[in-house]
Amino acid sequence: MIDNTTIGYLIIKNWLSEKSFHPFDFQEATWKQIIAEESGLVNAPTGCGKTYAVFLGAVLQFINDHPKEYQDLKNNGLQLLWITPLRALAKDIGRAMEEAIQSLGMQWKVGIRNGDTSTSERAKQKKNIPEVLIITPESLHLLLTQKNYPDYFKTLRIIAVDEWHELLGSKRGVQTELAICRIIHCQKSLSINSFGEKKEAAAPKETLIWGISATIGNLEQAKEVLLAPLQKEGVIIKADIDKPIEVRTIIPNEIEKYPWAGHLGIKLAASLIPIIEASKTTLIFINTRGMSETWYQTLLNIAPQLAGAIALHHGSIEQELRLWVEDALHTQKLKAVVCTASLDLGVDFRPVDTVIQVGSPKGIARFLQRAGRSGHRPGEISKIYFLPTHSLELVESAALQEAIKQQSIESKEPMTACFDVLLQFLCTLAIGEGFHAASIYDEIKTTNCFADLSINEWNEILNHLVNGGNALQQYDEYKKVELVDGLYKITNRRMAMRHRMHIGTIVSDAMLKVKLMSGGFIGVIEEWFVSRINPGDTFTLAGRNVELIMIKEMDVIVKKSNSKKSIIPSWMGGRMSLTANLGQILRQSFTKAFDEDAPIELKSLRALFELQAELSIIPKEKELLIEQIEEKNQFHLLVYPFEGRQVHEAMSSILAYRLSKTTPISFSISMNDYGFELLSDQPIPLDDSNVLELFSGDNLLNDIQKSINSAEMAKRKFRDIAVIGGLIFQGNPGEKIKTKHLQSSAALLFKVFEEYDPNNILLRQAYNEVMSQQMDEVRLRLALDRIAKSKIKLQFPKKLTPLSFPIIVDGLNRNSLSSEKIEDRIKKMQEQLLH
Amino acid sequence: MSLPVLHTINQQHFWLSPTRVVFWEEEKILILSDTHFSKTGHFRKNGIAVPHDIYKEDLQNLFSQVSLFKPNTILIVGDLFHSTENKELDLFLKWRKDFSQIKFILVRGNHDILHETWYNKAEIEVVEGFYQVQDFVFVHDPADSVEYNKNCFIFSGHIHPGILIKGIAKQSLRFPCYYFSKNNCILPAFSKFSGIKIMKPKKTDTVYAISKDSVIKC
Repeated sequence: MIDNTTIGYLIIKNWLSEKSFHPFDFQEATWKQIIAEESGLVNAPTGCGKTYAVFLGAVLQFINDHPKEYQDLKNNGLQLLWITPLRALAKDIGRAMEEAIQSLGMQWKVGIRNGDTSTSERAKQKKNIPEVLIITPESLHLLLTQKNYPDYFKTLRIIAVDEWHELLGSKRGVQTELAICRIIHCQKSLSINSFGEKKEAAAPKETLIWGISATIGNLEQAKEVLLAPLQKEGVIIKADIDKPIEVRTIIPNEIEKYPWAGHLGIKLAASLIPIIEASKTTLIFINTRGMSETWYQTLLNIAPQLAGAIALHHGSIEQELRLWVEDALHTQKLKAVVCTASLDLGVDFRPVDTVIQVGSPKGIARFLQRAGRSGHRPGEISKIYFLPTHSLELVESAALQEAIKQQSIESKEPMTACFDVLLQFLCTLAIGEGFHAASIYDEIKTTNCFADLSINEWNEILNHLVNGGNALQQYDEYKKVELVDGLYKITNRRMAMRHRMHIGTIVSDAMLKVKLMSGGFIGVIEEWFVSRINPGDTFTLAGRNVELIMIKEMDVIVKKSNSKKSIIPSWMGGRMSLTANLGQILRQSFTKAFDEDAPIELKSLRALFELQAELSIIPKEKELLIEQIEEKNQFHLLVYPFEGRQVHEAMSSILAYRLSKTTPISFSISMNDYGFELLSDQPIPLDDSNVLELFSGDNLLNDIQKSINSAEMAKRKFRDIAVIGGLIFQGNPGEKIKTKHLQSSAALLFKVFEEYDPNNILLRQAYNEVMSQQMDEVRLRLALDRIAKSKIKLQFPKKLTPLSFPIIVDGLNRNSLSSEKIEDRIKKMQEQLLH
Repeated sequence: MSLPVLHTINQQHFWLSPTRVVFWEEEKILILSDTHFSKTGHFRKNGIAVPHDIYKEDLQNLFSQVSLFKPNTILIVGDLFHSTENKELDLFLKWRKDFSQIKFILVRGNHDILHETWYNKAEIEVVEGFYQVQDFVFVHDPADSVEYNKNCFIFSGHIHPGILIKGIAKQSLRFPCYYFSKNNCILPAFSKFSGIKIMKPKKTDTVYAISKDSVIKC
C-alpha cells in the first residue's frame, strides 16, 4: 500500500486547503508515487496545475525526510532539476514555485539558468546551489562542462522534464536523454566507494525521473525513452480532466466547385472581424510566416479601427518586439495577434478566449494544442474557429472534429543514432571531467537514442574526435580530444571556450538581420530571399514596408517606405505535411460525403461532391482513386492517397521512375496533401494490368535511391548535422579574424566529404536522416501496404475534376510556364471548366 | 583528363585547364589563384576534422600541371596560403625544393599573412598590389585601390567565380568557372576546398565552366 498519510502529505494538503485549493486526483496520484520512490510520466493538458503535481511532490518528499526542521534547513544542495524546452517558461514557473515555498515557510531557493542568465548569477549558483534549478537542455549540457559537476548533482532527488512531448522527436530531446543518463550514472558511481563496495551509511537515494507531457499517440514509448537510463518501468499518470473543445468552421457563402489553394482565406478575412470584436483576445494562427504578414496587412486594411490593438508575432521578428507582444497579451492590451507556430508553446495567456486557425493545421495534435491556447482555466471551454483557405479544407475541418472525438492523436517518434549530438556531448564531457571510453559507452547504450550503437560505430566516433579521421601523419596537427592516461580530455582553453559557445547553437538557414538605416533592428530574413531582390525594391517584414538600401556583411540595411506595392518575403521550410492520422480520418470523411447526417462542412460542399461524382467518383475509405485526364494533348495522371505532401513526394517520384522503366517518358510532378499529379505530353502507360505492380512495396529501397536525388536532400540535412557535430563555426565575438579563416559552408563541406571521405560517420547520418525523416520510409511503406489492400478505382474523366484542380494549379504555380498572371490563368481555367 | 581549352587575347595564347590553372604559352607562365594551401591544416589544428586528402590532391594537381606545361614561372594571383603557419606548409616546402629552377611570384592577397622570412625561405617573390607582364596586369582583388594602367588586360582572383547552369524541371548545377569580360578575367579558385560565388554573366561576357575533367564554353 502506498502511504498517503505521511507528514509531508498532510502538510501540503493542509496548506492547500488553507488557500481553499483542492488538489486534482492526478496531482495526488503523482505525490503518492513520488513518496513511493517511483518514476514516471504525468499526462495533463496545460493550465491544469501539472507543475504543482511534480514540484509539490519534491517539496513533500523533502518534508518527509526532514519532518521537524524542514522550515529551517538552508543550503540543502540541489533537490529538483527542472528541464524546460522554453526559456520564456522559466520565469513564470520559477515565480509560482517561489510563492509556494515562501508560503510554506521554507528556505528553499529557486534558480533559473538559460542563455539569458548572467555570468555573475551563474557564479552565485555555483557557490550557493539552489534547491530548485530551472534549466534548458542546452544550459544543462553547459553545466556538464564544469569541473566537479558530479558533486553538483550529489543531493539531487528528482529530475523533471516539462513539455517532454515537445522535446521528444527532436535533437534537443536526444540532448536531454544524454544529460539525464550522465547524471543518473554519476550518482550510481558516487554510491560506490573507491574499493568498489557499496557505501552503507551515506548511500543516497536514487534520483527519480518525472516527465510532463501533453497527450500524444505514444505516451508509453515517451515514458520508456525518458526512463531508459533508470532501467525501470515507471508509471503513467493521466489527468482525466475533461476540457471541452468547441470547433466552429467559417463556411464561405459561395462554394467554388474548382477549389484553388491559397486565395479563399483572404476573401473570408472580413468574417473574422465580428469574432475578434466579440472576444477579449484572439490568436489567429497562420501556417507560414509569409502568409502571416499578408493577413496582418489585410486585417488592418478592412478594419482600420483595430490599428494598435492588433499585432504580429512570428519567428523572424526581432525578439524584443516579440517579447513586447507576449507581454501585451498577458496584460490584455491587444485584441488580436496574428501568429505562426511561434505561439504554439509557451506560457498561458490568460486573456485569450478565442483562437482562429487559418488553413489546414496538418495534424490533430497541433490543432488541439492551438485550441488549448484559449480558455485555460479548468472548466472553461476552448473555442477554436477554422477558416478554410480552399473549399476542400472544409472536409478537413470535419475530419479534425471527428479525430478529436476519436482521440486519434499523432505519435512523436524519438530520434535514434544521432551521431552529431553524441559528438557534441562527448566534447562537452571532455571539457569538464573527461571521460573513460568503456564506461561511457556502456552508459550511453542505456539511452533510447544510442541503444543500438555498435562498437564499430563507437570506435569511429572516438577516431573522429581524437585523430580527425585519416590524415597525412607527419604533416597533421589535428587536435581536439586527447587521450591522457586513459581519460579523454580537451585541454586547449580556446577550443573549450569555442565549444561552450557552440552548445545550443540554433540551427537555421543563413539568416540576415534587417536593420533600419536610422537605427533599430526589425527581424531576420533568409539569405536566398535577399539574393532575389535589388536595392530600391520594397518588402514587408514585421508588418512594415521597407525599402532595401544595401547589404553589408550579415546585415540588410533598409529604410521605411510608403510604397503601396511590396513583396512579402517567404521563408523556407514552411510547408508542413499532413500527418498519417489526419490523412486516415480525412479518407473516412470523404466516404460520408452524401450521408444524411453528415456534418455541416460536408453538406455545404454538396455541389462540389456532385460534380466530382459525375465526372469521376468520390473515393471511399478503402479505395485508391486514380484519374487519367487528357486535355489539349496533355496527359494528366492523378493519384489520391491522402497521405500528405511528404509521402506523395516520394511516392510520385517512385511511380514516375517505375513508369519510365517500361516506356521512355518524362513527367513533371506536382502534389498537395491529398494527392499528386504526373503530367506528360504522351499517354501514360498505367492501366488495370500493371497498376498493382507500380504501387508495390517490392524493391522499394532500390527504387527510392534511383528515383530521388538523395544527395541533394542529404546536403540540406548535412547543414544541421555539421553545425551540431562541430564542423561549422558561426564565429564568436572577439575572435573575428581568427574564426573567419575557419569558416566554410555546409554545402562545401558536404562536397568535400562526398569526394574525399564518403564513409564519414556524419555524412552517413545525413543520408540516414533523409531516409527516415525526409522520405519517411516507414510511412511510405505503410502507405504502399495500405494501397495494396485497397481497391483501385481507375477513372477517365472527360475534364478536370474538383479534386484534381488544386493539384494541377499547384503545378502551374511552381513551373510558371506562362507569362500570363497566374491568378488570371486560374480564373480562366475555372470558367472554361464550368461552361 | 581532357585537354585544356585555348583562349586568345591580343594574339597571346592562354590555355585554360580543367585543373583551374592557365598557361600563357608565349611567356611560359603558369597562372593560378586562390590556392589556399594549408587550409585543411588550419581547420584540423582547430579541431575541425576535414579530410586531409584534399590538400594532398591539390598539391598533386599543381605538380602534374607543372610537369605538363613546364613553365618558367608560376604566378599566383593571391591567397597562396590560407592563414598562419602550420605543419602542412612543410609539405609545400618539400615540393617547392623539387622545382627550385622555377620562379615563383605571389601577388599578395588578403589571406597572405605569413612572415616575410617564410616567403624568403620558400623562394617566393611577393609582389604588393599588382604585377605586370606586357600589357597584362595581375591583381588579387581589383576592388582594392591599386594604381595600375587601366588600358591593360587584368587577371584577378579573390572572388571564386562560379556559374549556375539550369536544366529542365527545376534542376540546376553549379560549376566553378573562368570568367572573361571585355578587359579582364576572373580566375577560378584553384583549391578544391573552396566555395564559389555564382556570377550573373552579361551577354558580352565569356564564361568557361569547369566540370570534373573538362572546360566547357557556355
